[in-house]
Amino acid sequence: MSAKEYDVIIVGGGVTGAATVRDCALRGLSTLLIERGDICDGASGRNHGLLHSGARYAVTDREGAEECIRENRILRRIASNCVEQTEGLFISLPEDGLDYQANFIKKCREAGISAEAIDPKEALRMEPAINPNIIGAVKVPDASVDPFRLVDAHILDAQRHGADILKFTAVTELVKEGGRVVGVKTSKGDIIRAREVVLAAGIWTAGLAQAAGVKIGMMPSKGALIIYGHRVAKMVINRCRKPANADILVPGDVVSVLGTTSDKVPVETCDDMHATPEEVNLLMREGEQLVPCLAQTRIIRAYAGVRPLVVADPAGDGRNVSRGIVLLDHETRDGIPGLITITGGKLTTARLMAEMATDLICEKLGSSARCETANKPLPGSEGRVPRFKDPFNMRAAIGRHGTEVSRMDFVKGGEILCECEHVTRAEIAYAVKQFGVRNISDLRRHTRIGMGTCQGSYCIQKVAEALAEELGDSSRAGEFVREYLQERWKGMTPVLWGDTLREAEYMHKVYKNEI
Amino acid sequence: MKFDVIIIGGGWAGCTEAEKLAEAGSKVCVISEGLSLASVRYETPYSRHAGLQKAGVTVLRGDRAERGIIEDGKVTGVITRNLGEGEPLTADRYVLATGKFFSRGLLSDKEHIWEPVFGADVDYDPDRTKWFSQDFEADQPFMKFGVKTDAKGHVLVDGKSIVNLTAVGDICNE
Repeated sequence: MSAKEYDVIIVGGGVTGAATVRDCALRGLSTLLIERGDICDGASGRNHGLLHSGARYAVTDREGAEECIRENRILRRIASNCVEQTEGLFISLPEDGLDYQANFIKKCREAGISAEAIDPKEALRMEPAINPNIIGAVKVPDASVDPFRLVDAHILDAQRHGADILKFTAVTELVKEGGRVVGVKTSKGDIIRAREVVLAAGIWTAGLAQAAGVKIGMMPSKGALIIYGHRVAKMVINRCRKPANADILVPGDVVSVLGTTSDKVPVETCDDMHATPEEVNLLMREGEQLVPCLAQTRIIRAYAGVRPLVVADPAGDGRNVSRGIVLLDHETRDGIPGLITITGGKLTTARLMAEMATDLICEKLGSSARCETANKPLPGSEGRVPRFKDPFNMRAAIGRHGTEVSRMDFVKGGEILCECEHVTRAEIAYAVKQFGVRNISDLRRHTRIGMGTCQGSYCIQKVAEALAEELGDSSRAGEFVREYLQERWKGMTPVLWGDTLREAEYMHKVYKNEI
Repeated sequence: MKFDVIIIGGGWAGCTEAEKLAEAGSKVCVISEGLSLASVRYETPYSRHAGLQKAGVTVLRGDRAERGIIEDGKVTGVITRNLGEGEPLTADRYVLATGKFFSRGLLSDKEHIWEPVFGADVDYDPDRTKWFSQDFEADQPFMKFGVKTDAKGHVLVDGKSIVNLTAVGDICNE
């Protein structure tokens, strides 16, 4: 039993929970975030990494589109080191016609999204890899965002403003007294009390709420994605038609991400999401319409995440269900005070979701503190990056971490360990210290180790040894290599042919006798 | 130029075969593209190539066998990238030692696995989901795929034995 009573406990360490704990901390509330795994381990780390301009929703969901463009502008400002300002193209193929495009441009402009029609020839000059048969193109302010870095930045800022983060600890039940939720019970057996408990656990929210007697109709919608080993386009490439499967290609760091699908799946499957060969076939078929050279581009991984959609109509495939923000005040909705749910929404709109949730929390707690998250830069984006005498080995780190590099020791840790992404030893030490990294899977979420072209095939031994040393136990390097290879294997098997199969044989010959 | 034996692939298996044949006095040619997986672990094939050349073996380094010519159940020549269509290499006997996937001895797409030089029959499961085990450390089916041979070790093309073509090393099925 913890003696301390928090103002707020937030359940879930994805982007929604991270943004909410930051908002609460900035408003001076004593706040605890509890996450059963690592930060950004669920849907927040398994998506496109697309910072929506809102254009995709302009035709079908005006409100969602307006939210996106507002938040898009805010994140470019407050999270500049997480966002790459790629811009986006919506291309029309002959079978799409141009009627949709005309309406699309009109609706974008109504929602305040700049949408500029571009001559197909000019579009092909800008992006030579796109389908040469395009009959139209529209430029919009889409961008690429690194979800891991974005969530990390929120968590860091929250901690620096006094919030507590409890990772690898599950909330097993909500504790009620006289009909009011007064805290949570954790997997470690502790009861931690708070004046308000906020559920921000994505698709896992419904189960927790149900145990407390609250029914939230949620529909897990699976989305599968493929990572290609190169950046085949500079901009985000979208299909200018009614949103469908595999019609967005997003450049991110040194790779391109193609997605996605949208299929209703049972809740029980959400803990073990992976892309199936059928999904890969579908993604490839559609993706090659967008950018034909994808047929010859090496696939490095396939993966899947699950959208926490809230049911309005239980039928259908999930694409027509509300992707809007859902804020539930269970005091007024269900007569259970002390409990709030924030869900739905998108990676792009997480800050806004947090603002809405925190406004409600403040109202309940009688605080008049105003939201500052839209104007305060996140760690990494705070002012100018310090200058280094010899920045070659730090150049990638500076791009990734911005002003946070001032907390990294490049004198001791200047060695580049991951050559694809130029990840330095200093970043590993930083991740261990700042994020409590325990193993290679954690490390992948907080650095870009093993996420580049070689996917760790060349560097993982070195990285494992460095991590084991940073954790103070060199004997664990072998265990880290084994764990990494199995995780990599999970991503490779759905796309195991061609160059990926070549790489698989290489991996087996090099590592199998070693482990 | 006519050889006794042409070995396609100058990696671990091809070099071993060439050393054996050269010692026995055969006139041997090795076509080596230079992609060898065994050499990643053990020894670069280049050091062995030098030894082979000293023993009188012709080593075509950086060249690749593009296509084998088969007539009446026998290989009659090999076209290489550098020598081109006009200058096929010929021998009495041919040995396929091109390795598996890494060295491009076997090529694959979503549905097929094939051997690109002779179009040899490949032993594999047409269902892609059967190519691997989910456990990385388990035995992997794809590591056993390879070209089919008859009881005498002759490579099969379209189900027929090619009487002067054998296979050694990773290209063989298990």
